Amino acid sequence: MKIFINLFLFLLLFCSEAFAQNDHIKLFVENIGNEIVKVANNKTLKDAQKKSAIIKIIDQNIDSQWISRFVLGSHYKTIDEAKKAKFAELYRQFMIETYGPKFNSYNGKSFVVNKIEDQKNFFLAKANFYPQGTNNPISIDFRIKEKNQKLFVVDFIAEGVSLLETQRSEFDSAITNLGIDKFLNDLELKTQQLKKANKL
Amino acid sequence: MHLSINVNTFISVFYKIQKLLFILLVFFSATAYGEEEDEFESFSKAITKNNTAINDPFETYNRKIYKFNDVVDKYFLEKIATGYRFVTPKPVRNSITNFINNLSLPISAVNSVMQGKVDNSLATTSTFLINSTIGIFGLFDVAGQKKITYQPEDFGQTFAVYGLKSSPFLMLPLLGPSTVVDFSGSIANRIVSPTDFDMLNFSLLDSNQRALISATSIVNNREQLLDIIKDIRQNSFDSYAIIRSAYLQRRINQINN
Repeated sequence: MKIFINLFLFLLLFCSEAFAQNDHIKLFVENIGNEIVKVANNKTLKDAQKKSAIIKIIDQNIDSQWISRFVLGSHYKTIDEAKKAKFAELYRQFMIETYGPKFNSYNGKSFVVNKIEDQKNFFLAKANFYPQGTNNPISIDFRIKEKNQKLFVVDFIAEGVSLLETQRSEFDSAITNLGIDKFLNDLELKTQQLKKANKL
Repeated sequence: MHLSINVNTFISVFYKIQKLLFILLVFFSATAYGEEEDEFESFSKAITKNNTAINDPFETYNRKIYKFNDVVDKYFLEKIATGYRFVTPKPVRNSITNFINNLSLPISAVNSVMQGKVDNSLATTSTFLINSTIGIFGLFDVAGQKKITYQPEDFGQTFAVYGLKSSPFLMLPLLGPSTVVDFSGSIANRIVSPTDFDMLNFSLLDSNQRALISATSIVNNREQLLDIIKDIRQNSFDSYAIIRSAYLQRRINQINN
């Protein structure tokens, strides 16, 4: 009988730790959503202040270094360290210019994290985003990774389409067709064009 | 003499310790680097495990068709879809989407049964009956508001369930991305659908009505993609590769749902 009680207590402890971990991740994702809403809806902030607030959210919560390595795919092993570093920095800027304006124009009425799945190498936070004026939610999943006891988002999956995989496929095709040097130049050029085009 | 031996011994021990420390340092650095590498590789594999490699043996042909579609879209379809967005309020567009979705539900219910998803078939049938009656010919998604949820199923997904999971990617003229299996599935959908080509002669609609529904469906779908396609055109380095990857991922997700 004592063995069963001990086993039960052990399972209870194990489950409560798993639940605590899930709550921790849920809170992390919901905090990102709330921070974005706060910045997007803050009418007192000037454009430059909004931009730096968005950059802060991106840098603190998204592991752009890791993502930049993943999206290079097999090309990562064939290019030198200087190009890897250049790509990582350009990619971070590209990400800021691409997603910054989207975060800033966030118009969701609610954002709900429904479920956290532990997928061994990462956590999957399954969320629903409800745009203004509709009851039909858009399903968005976040891949979350723990690094040095801190959580980071490494992927967004909208309606089954992963940003990481799509970009990896796109970059692979572009690098294969253009070569890494031309691709890096194009990435730099596009980032500058986006910077100019974005009011943010 | 005694002192010099001690000094020599000390120097020798010092060098040995230094060498040992260096070896240990190299060993631990290598282990840490190796662990980081392993962790990256296993994470990468976990991310890509559900998706098969891109199968695009007709890429040269597909890219040409894509260019053609892109031109037609820029100068024709995109403009019509933009005009459609301008003249129809969002609730009207939502009702048109509901109406078109509702027409596809009987075929979806049949495919659910063929895939062994009886619960989904019942949910799809209930949605069709509720929305066609209380929802006024499907214009209002009453079933959705009552939290009746279903997964749309088509013949492409049914073929995949029966083993035809991976097939070459196809870019179809005017119709856009597909695969060999999905294209066959879309023909099967049209053969048996009572609102489509009517190849089995039991259509509920005449040819003008069918043409009107097809045209509205194309424009309505394009309107829903206006922002996404604009974004892809603006931010991408290879829009064909993005559309191919997104299409294939979405289909795998629908098949595995």
